[in-house]
Amino acid sequence: MLGKLTWDAIPFDQPIPLISGAVVILAALGVLVWVIAKGWLPYLWKEWITSVDHKHIGIMYVLLGLLMLVRGFIDAIMMRAQQALAFHAQGYLPPEHYDQVFSAHGTIMVLFAAMPLVIGIMNFVVPLQLGVRDVAFPTLNSVSFWLTATGALLVNMSLIVGEFARTGWLPYPPLSELRYSPGVGVDYYLWAVQISGVGTLLTGINFVTTILKMRAPGMTYFRMPMFCWTALASCLLILAAFPVLTATLAMLTLDRYLGFHFFTNEAGGNAMMFMNLIWAWGHPEVYILVLPAFGIYSEVISTFSGKPLFGYRSMVAATLFICIVSFCVWLHHFFTMGAGGDVNAVFGIATSIIAVGTGVKMYNWLFTMYGGRIRFTTPMLWSLGFMTTFITGGMTGVLLAVPPADFLLHNSMFLVAHFHHVIVGGVVFAVLAGITYWWPKAFGYRLEEFWGKAAFWFALAGFYVTFVPLYVVGILGMTRRLQHYDVAEWRPWLMISAAGILVLIAGAICQMVQLSVSFLRRNELRDTTGDPWDGRSLEWATASPPPVFNFAVLPQVQDAEAFWDVKRRAREMHGSGSEPHYEALEMPRNSPTGFVCAFFATIIGFALVWHIWWLMIVGLVGAYATFVVFAWRDVPEYVIPAEEVARLDRANRIARQEAPYGASAI
Amino acid sequence: MTIDANGHDPEYQDDDRGGASDEHSARLGTYVLGFALAVLLTIASFWVAKTDLIYGPGIPVALATLAVAQMGIHLVFFLHLTTAPDNTNNVLALAFGLLIVGLVVFGSVWIMAHLNHNLMPMQQLMQMQR
Repeated sequence: MLGKLTWDAIPFDQPIPLISGAVVILAALGVLVWVIAKGWLPYLWKEWITSVDHKHIGIMYVLLGLLMLVRGFIDAIMMRAQQALAFHAQGYLPPEHYDQVFSAHGTIMVLFAAMPLVIGIMNFVVPLQLGVRDVAFPTLNSVSFWLTATGALLVNMSLIVGEFARTGWLPYPPLSELRYSPGVGVDYYLWAVQISGVGTLLTGINFVTTILKMRAPGMTYFRMPMFCWTALASCLLILAAFPVLTATLAMLTLDRYLGFHFFTNEAGGNAMMFMNLIWAWGHPEVYILVLPAFGIYSEVISTFSGKPLFGYRSMVAATLFICIVSFCVWLHHFFTMGAGGDVNAVFGIATSIIAVGTGVKMYNWLFTMYGGRIRFTTPMLWSLGFMTTFITGGMTGVLLAVPPADFLLHNSMFLVAHFHHVIVGGVVFAVLAGITYWWPKAFGYRLEEFWGKAAFWFALAGFYVTFVPLYVVGILGMTRRLQHYDVAEWRPWLMISAAGILVLIAGAICQMVQLSVSFLRRNELRDTTGDPWDGRSLEWATASPPPVFNFAVLPQVQDAEAFWDVKRRAREMHGSGSEPHYEALEMPRNSPTGFVCAFFATIIGFALVWHIWWLMIVGLVGAYATFVVFAWRDVPEYVIPAEEVARLDRANRIARQEAPYGASAI
Repeated sequence: MTIDANGHDPEYQDDDRGGASDEHSARLGTYVLGFALAVLLTIASFWVAKTDLIYGPGIPVALATLAVAQMGIHLVFFLHLTTAPDNTNNVLALAFGLLIVGLVVFGSVWIMAHLNHNLMPMQQLMQMQR
């Protein structure tokens, strides 16, 4: 009846997962009870859970990403503490638990923290920057988000019910095959990643369509803000790479569930094909994350230097160059696994060449700042921290790109230090910069600067104290994923690294304090004009937070920096913009399709993990029925009358009359 | 909001409006022609697989050629891929897809051939050296 699911699945004998799981469940129940008691449930259902508004979906993505970032960070703290303790000892985590912790850390950080954060910011910002009212397929957008949330839920469910994979964040066969991983851990991984992968792919389709087909009148390709270009490149990579991941994991699933032999040792299987295919997805994946990050830095640096982005066209070219070349480098993840000299040389050189595109971007940012009047706000600090961190991290990457050097450093702590150096310095800093930068647009008040700067300095210092020692132990010969060790020279460095994580914890606390303090002081920090930073692109041309339709009248774009151009002309005309003609607008109706689909997807995933076949059929039928009901809907849109549009927009125009930067013309 | 709500997608609106009846028959004509060509190519593949007229080892090459031709027919007649200016996005998307598929397939075959060669079981290696 319940397949493989028995009471043994609950880890009653292991206090750490049991207690942490209980705490999470209690906290979730507490929040639920609070929401119901306050009577907020109808509001949440109408405005958020069933919302197809790209702004609300984007905010929910970011919230999911931040929650998962905290979960992944707790895993990181556990691993640093374990390695600090486990010298000639077992530490406090038994091996089978430690293996799950590092697997969950990687999976969660890349797929359920970084991806939702980046996609969330894309969701919120791209339609606003393009000057349009929503994405191309609003309901599909909601489905994407909820499927991603399903994946995150399944991964976290494995903490209490069953176990997670012990294979690392990429389940390499033959270890991940049924013979060596008979438990449900790898199955949790497979279904969580597959279901959220569908969501990511749908996001890719949605945003490529939006950017290619829906731009404000006059916004040609070369008038799009840089963030839209990087989002486009990132989504093209999603379209090209995620099917590879889906197919690869589907083959592993067939091996595990139906006795196929794609990657097994026997019967003609070839495990190396898995490494090859998974990295054909895996390397583009890091550019899927880091290209939008580059876009965020471009926006932040240009705004706070008070200058247009230097070398706009070369930036576009570098982005598209990286987009293509990222598909020519994947072998560098397995230089040591037996390819010959010429294969290694080709991929090594390609890997060094891809750094050229990033180098072009670095110089563009430097020249954007050169001669500018730089305001050192929190987002700008994150960007400057990124530039220094990413250059050094990138240089260790170029070192690893040299095959002979890689033979010494492959799978060592040096590699671990390298990819944290570029992902933390590149993606996490970008996300924090982006959240601070666009927060006033999303919520109508700025974030407090003092705690934001404190968070930045703690994070920057903590990052270096944590990861530079890992370079050293890597060169001293320490391999990654060690549960315990007995080499005395490593010990002091691992202790320093553990101290570094304490500094990072201080940074994380400052970040949380910043959010709470800003919320409490929101009336002082209120942004009434919609343009708190003297911005240059169209998202600053509407109110903060924007009305549901974003723009009462679609803006006419005449320049690469659409909003800056408007403000400049307004100053020349002394702000005498006349009121536009308002018309009634049609907006997409909210739909519970995404939430209901994800509910059934969760059931399907859980049932497949535990081999509960009848439940899987129930889930499939439910998901299909949801699709049919959605497809037969009669009224997809509702109308906002012209008076309502005029009322909302007039309030915004009056606030703008007092704007310090003369933005009243729009 | 659908795409045409922004007035951005003329092709999309054309589909909706339908147009005059001779336009319809012209469109039907291309579908029929495409279908006929597709059937012809399918029959040709079955014929090639069994024929003696072609040099034996050349048959896979002939089948591959027919398969590529079949893809072309589908793209042109059923997916309406043209070189018209309003079709630039589709042509670029096809080019991007072909480039990525080419890179991944060629790269994988090359890498796996190398791995197979270098990681040959010892017994097999000994046999080769004899």
